[in-house]
Amino acid sequence: MGGLLSTQTNVLASAEAVSSLGTAIYVGLVLILLFAVLAMAKKGLNGRVFKNPWTQATEQLYLFIENMCVGIIGSHGRKYIPMIATFWLVIFVANVVALFMGFSPTASLSFNLGMALISIGYVQFEGMKANGMFGHFSHFAGPKLGGLMALLITPVIFVIEIVSEIIKNASLSLRLYGNIFGGGKAVHSMNELGHSIYVPFGEFLMPIKLLTVVVQALIFCLLTCVYLSLVTGHHDEEHGEDHGHGAPAHA
Amino acid sequence: MSNQEKSSGLPYPVKLVVGAVLMFGGFWLSQNAEQYLPFQHGLAEKGIPLDLGITIAVIGVFLILFPVINSFYLKPLADAINERTHALESTFGEAESLRAEMTKMKSDYEQRLVATEAEARAQIQAQIKEAQDLRQSLMADANAKADELVKRAQQEIEAEKQRVLGELRSSVVTLTLQASEKILGENMDSDKNRRLVTEFIDKVEVPS
Repeated sequence: MGGLLSTQTNVLASAEAVSSLGTAIYVGLVLILLFAVLAMAKKGLNGRVFKNPWTQATEQLYLFIENMCVGIIGSHGRKYIPMIATFWLVIFVANVVALFMGFSPTASLSFNLGMALISIGYVQFEGMKANGMFGHFSHFAGPKLGGLMALLITPVIFVIEIVSEIIKNASLSLRLYGNIFGGGKAVHSMNELGHSIYVPFGEFLMPIKLLTVVVQALIFCLLTCVYLSLVTGHHDEEHGEDHGHGAPAHA
Repeated sequence: MSNQEKSSGLPYPVKLVVGAVLMFGGFWLSQNAEQYLPFQHGLAEKGIPLDLGITIAVIGVFLILFPVINSFYLKPLADAINERTHALESTFGEAESLRAEMTKMKSDYEQRLVATEAEARAQIQAQIKEAQDLRQSLMADANAKADELVKRAQQEIEAEKQRVLGELRSSVVTLTLQASEKILGENMDSDKNRRLVTEFIDKVEVPS
């Protein structure tokens, strides 16, 4: 993988080469950077007006995530802010690390799969808590059908929905992995092209990579909010119209 | 903005312990992947660099991270934002209360001003009426006095007139007697003649 500090081709040639210890070290680096930023931001929490730029930035991020959670999940979405914000911070800092270092935790499929499992697992947990075990899994059976159709179609829909839920893990993890790891690969390959004439062509991709850093963090958190809203959204509708148990659990 | 609702799920200490177990267990599993996860080698050969040990360790790391980041920064930040919001709401509330008080005071002052103006107008009207009454009373007194003066003057005039008429009558009688005496050439009895002349004059006198 390539980055500003890794234009030379022999620096950590690929993510596959990074051992579990190396991954742990990079995760540690990301967490150190993250807590360093948070510690600097925490110093500015005194006073009515936040003058510390780190505090201002994290405040804006917090408000953005709060709006996202409340806007997508509903009024009860505030309780998910810590989880969504933690995802955002870790993914964002890890993506920033990917810009400058040879490797990043988010360029590891295993790391991303771990985050996806937490996200989807928590979504299932919240779904079961909100609708009950039977209610949650009955959503996977699709619309209520009668007679022969129920015997033929409902099991098929149920299996498809379960597979879909499992695939969500792969979807979340592969999207992030592909973008960060692929972006690094692209930079690395383009740097290889200009290696003989000492021109790091890959670094010209930096604007797109900067965009990817933010967009990927946003997508991961946004999708987690959407998944949560699909399984817990009935809370807001319970006092209104009948929410229809036949609706599929997700779009 | 309300306070963050407490995240549901396992208690924080349990999360921390479970997270630590998963983190170290996953790391150990990753270090011993060839023994316990031999299928990963096949996946790696197919281009899927998956290390389930790292995945499990990451789950553990995040179970620890969620409460730690929340208590280290997110909760203080949310508290600070809420405190600021409440302070602003309180300030706006105070300003609104003061504005309402000012509006009420202004309304009171306006009402008092209107009442004062009405009272002053009523007092002025009362003074004007009193002055008019006084004027009428004074004019009535003056008219009465004038009438009395006129009446007295008329009486005096009448008395004077009567006196002058008496004197005139006397003079006329005297003159008439003198004239008659000269004409007749004899001295007439004065009292008798005077009575006769007076009776004559009374007969011929035209009422004034």
